[in-house]
Amino acid sequence: MPRQLLSVYPQASPRFDEMLERGGAIRGHWRGLWDLLVASQPEQMRNRVDYVQRQIQENGVTYNVYADPQGTDRPWELDLLPLIVPHDEWEMIERAVAQRATLLNAILADLYGAQTLLRDGLLPPALIYGHAGYLRPCHGIRPPGDTFLHMYAVDLARSPDGRWWAIADRTQAPSGAGYALENRLVVSRLFPELFRDIKVQHLASFFRTLRDSLAHWAPKDDEPPLVVLLTPGPYNETYFEHAYLARYLGFPLVEGSDLTVRNGCVWLKTLSGLQRVHAILRRLDDDFSDPLELRSDSALGVPGLTESVRMGNVLVANALGTNILEGGAMLGYLPGLCERLLGAPLAMPSVATWWCGEEAALDDALAKLDGLVIKSAYPQQRREPVFGQDLDKRGREALIARMRAKPHEFVAQELVQLAQAPVWDRTHPRRLHARVVGLRVFACASPAGYVVMPGGLTRVGSDADARILSMQRGGSSKDTWVLSSGPVNTFSLLRRAIGPQELVRSGANLSSRVVENLFWFGRYAERCDNRARLLRIALDRLLEDADEQDGAEWQALIGLCRRVSLLPKLEDDDEEDADEDTPPPSIDELLIRAVFDAQEAPTLAANLRQLFRVAFQLRERLSIDNWRTINRLTQDISRRKGTQISLGEAFGFLDRCVLSLMTLAGFAMDGMTRDQGWRFLSMGRRLERLQFACLTLRHALAGGDEDLDWLLELADSIVTYRSRYMSRPEPLPVFDLLILDPSNPRSVIFQVAGIHDYLERLAEQYGSCGEERLAPLLERLEKLDLASDLDAEAGLAKLDTLLGDITTAAFQLSDQVALRFFTHVDASRQTVSM
Amino acid sequence: VSVAAATYRVLHETHYRYEVPVLLAQHLLRLTPRRCAWQSCEAHRVDIEPAAAERRAHTDYFGNRVVQIALEAPHEELRVIADSIVSVATHLPRIAPEDTQPWEAAREALRSADTAAALDAYQYAFASPGVQLTPGLADFAAASFTPQRPVLEALLDLTRTIHEDFEFDSEATSVSTPVAEVLAHRRGVCQDFAHLQIAALRSIGLAARYVSGYLLTRPPPGKPRLIGADASHAWVSLYLPEYGWVDVDPTNDLLPDVQHITLAWGRDFSDVSPLRGVILGGGEHELEVRVSVLPLDAERDLPETPT
Repeated sequence: MPRQLLSVYPQASPRFDEMLERGGAIRGHWRGLWDLLVASQPEQMRNRVDYVQRQIQENGVTYNVYADPQGTDRPWELDLLPLIVPHDEWEMIERAVAQRATLLNAILADLYGAQTLLRDGLLPPALIYGHAGYLRPCHGIRPPGDTFLHMYAVDLARSPDGRWWAIADRTQAPSGAGYALENRLVVSRLFPELFRDIKVQHLASFFRTLRDSLAHWAPKDDEPPLVVLLTPGPYNETYFEHAYLARYLGFPLVEGSDLTVRNGCVWLKTLSGLQRVHAILRRLDDDFSDPLELRSDSALGVPGLTESVRMGNVLVANALGTNILEGGAMLGYLPGLCERLLGAPLAMPSVATWWCGEEAALDDALAKLDGLVIKSAYPQQRREPVFGQDLDKRGREALIARMRAKPHEFVAQELVQLAQAPVWDRTHPRRLHARVVGLRVFACASPAGYVVMPGGLTRVGSDADARILSMQRGGSSKDTWVLSSGPVNTFSLLRRAIGPQELVRSGANLSSRVVENLFWFGRYAERCDNRARLLRIALDRLLEDADEQDGAEWQALIGLCRRVSLLPKLEDDDEEDADEDTPPPSIDELLIRAVFDAQEAPTLAANLRQLFRVAFQLRERLSIDNWRTINRLTQDISRRKGTQISLGEAFGFLDRCVLSLMTLAGFAMDGMTRDQGWRFLSMGRRLERLQFACLTLRHALAGGDEDLDWLLELADSIVTYRSRYMSRPEPLPVFDLLILDPSNPRSVIFQVAGIHDYLERLAEQYGSCGEERLAPLLERLEKLDLASDLDAEAGLAKLDTLLGDITTAAFQLSDQVALRFFTHVDASRQTVSM
Repeated sequence: VSVAAATYRVLHETHYRYEVPVLLAQHLLRLTPRRCAWQSCEAHRVDIEPAAAERRAHTDYFGNRVVQIALEAPHEELRVIADSIVSVATHLPRIAPEDTQPWEAAREALRSADTAAALDAYQYAFASPGVQLTPGLADFAAASFTPQRPVLEALLDLTRTIHEDFEFDSEATSVSTPVAEVLAHRRGVCQDFAHLQIAALRSIGLAARYVSGYLLTRPPPGKPRLIGADASHAWVSLYLPEYGWVDVDPTNDLLPDVQHITLAWGRDFSDVSPLRGVILGGGEHELEVRVSVLPLDAERDLPETPT
């Protein structure tokens, strides 16, 4: 019902409407989508809404994510409906954006070279000299092809008359292209037939151009160029995008501490040594990129990077120093600069902007403050834009005083009346809302000139403030469909012809940081698994029969829970009783806390959070399926925060948890190549399993030999036992199965032999790494005579000592591996002398 | 009494001792005395122990010579000895302070930046990493820079004010003490006084740069010893559009001449640190810096210390 779709949609708005003509008719290029919406059943639309939300959530698409538990995880907001741009209009935008990128690149080349623009008065020197982004150490460096700007983005807005305006340039390390790609993958699947039929242009060839261009300009040696994506790390607000793009482009995702400069070249620290890096696509701010020559307080950069660039030994994209063009003050000078540098008029106007450092501009701005937004001229000042119309008398006077005192620090900009586009109302069966939109368009440098991505990130204003487009302030986003006039280029980066000589058989670029995370990923996955199993058995017995609670089995389980600090130690109980009048919490309550309370250090929830944290660091290396599995578990817990949880619910959660962790283990067994990274993950898992097995077995041996069901269940070996012995558990066959059976993947000897094997393989490449500790233990295990040991006091003591020695060796090996392979990734420090 | 020139041998020794071995180190050295109109560097060498695995040199944006070194073998100490022979000619301003243009006119001439020299100077008129232009500095400058006062006269007044109102105290500050704190506590060392004066001058729109170097001290009988002996020294240079750069030393309230040996200049200390580095490992460290300035001319040719 068309009328229903538009029931709350403003049809006579002063804004430009992307979908409706002035008279209310649907614009031609929106017709296909409109017809589809009209024809869709509410049920179909609900499914589409669900699909988008599920994809966003399961892929963990986030903005402003802080892995820190106190931080805010904000899911990426994506509307169902794309913004549609017709072919002819796009050609105009494309030309204008390519011209603008060319112009800005030429300005950079001048500012970091001859500086004729300053000398000839085309740019006020104060704009450059007062800008903290003008990096003096980078002056005089000429990048290959004189290309400073490899990746460029510009924010566009459309005024009521339908014209497009540039409102801000992003020249340092523009974000958003990865989100645009992710939006495309989701939205194109919502409307696959429409997407094909109206000939939407694909994005993949743009990214291929970026990749090929970086390889083209990277310094050459005998090897194929290694390009890395340098990120400030998982705490950055757009880290999701860094990981996503790195995986899409096939570049290792690295942090500053993964790289080192030796002999004027940049190297990636990998498990197998240093590997030459030829090009760096950076998402790290330029002044943070080199603590030696740039900001000395940066802990994120690569010391010596600037000199390596200066020597031409590495390509950094965008070039160091490109931040100088960010900050709105430049906009007003672009028309003149374009005439001068390109000999042509600027194709797309910028929104009217005045730099207040010019006296006339300051007077003008102060006179019509109500219609303007006042921004800072230099990004280093980090001031929020102020809308003249929002100010009361005092605020207005204060602003005027500040502007008069330091006029060169301010920029005045006209307000843009943004265009509006329809967004789908998620809470209603069929209804459209109008929201303001702006378009971020991307361009990348290529040897043949700038190439514009046919699409972009459409940003949608929030309900609250239609003047600002900001993902940080609760805005949303849209996919952007650029229509093609001819056949669509369906090239995909996911399918690429690779010849036999290009085949890569091992993860040669494994960085030490990644290996460390893999090792801990293995440890935490296993730790969560054994905690979940232990709690599940305890809850099972609790639900089954309350009378059992005095039995030896119950005592053994509760004792073990205390040993691994899932339950408070007995002394703690006494203390609490003594201090407080409140009755001690019931065992039900304590067990539920042990599952869900993430505040207490060693609970299951806390361990899952650690697993999530490590997985987060590894996100670009984990498959989407892996990530979804982990993400679902942590969401399952956070959903329950503060709610009353029954034993039954907790039991259900533990079931899902064990299942998910088995799935993760399955991925590791079945989905990962057997490279060194896999070996470290498995070693982490085995060391953790070994320590827990030794602890459990010693606990069981000390507790007497009745009721060993729980021990088999905990070691996931009950099925094997029953199929072999068809009887109730008896000590000899149980301990044989759990300690000495080399075919049982849960037995002690299986772990020791496995770890020994991994270490021997590592030793082939890196020399001894502690495998000699294990050989004698393996020998002692093989010599065990369980039948007699289990019957004698001395035999039991010998067994206990052996398990104790194995535990100690496991701890020592873990430390040794960390020292040997991980800690050379260490924090550097700065020194300054007088 | 004044002489036309003097020649010195300058030894600048930097010695780091680390608690645990440094595995990898990269350092930038700005230890080569600048050549300029009144100064030439006749011999210069830098010795590094242990030997550096890499050593390269380039000229930085401000025209200073930079040597970049890397040490890739574990070491527990690092010794850098710069040994230079430098000749300095007199360069006192040949212009009477009261005859210089009003400081407001100097500010406007700078802002128009219509000559290459003025354009180059103009970049020293803005805040820089080590010199933030906080409120209060412009007022501090205004006491000396009264309306229409000749710019050099006002500069000498500000130099005297800092010397008189601020106490030399090597315990009060560190290499990164902000200017606002120096202004509030009224104490510090040559670096702090230079930063403070630069900040005050920039706050009223003038172009001032930071000069690092050395100072000869030869206390004449009965005269006080100049502060800054046997250590690196720092002073200030102000751009007078109708004349050029004029050096002043706020720590000692004097116009640098043949006793001041210029090492490097930049916007502030962070542009010219003699030795700046990033190390891997090392733990805590001890740092010892020794500077000796040895006159090579006959001593009687040297001037009495101006007061």
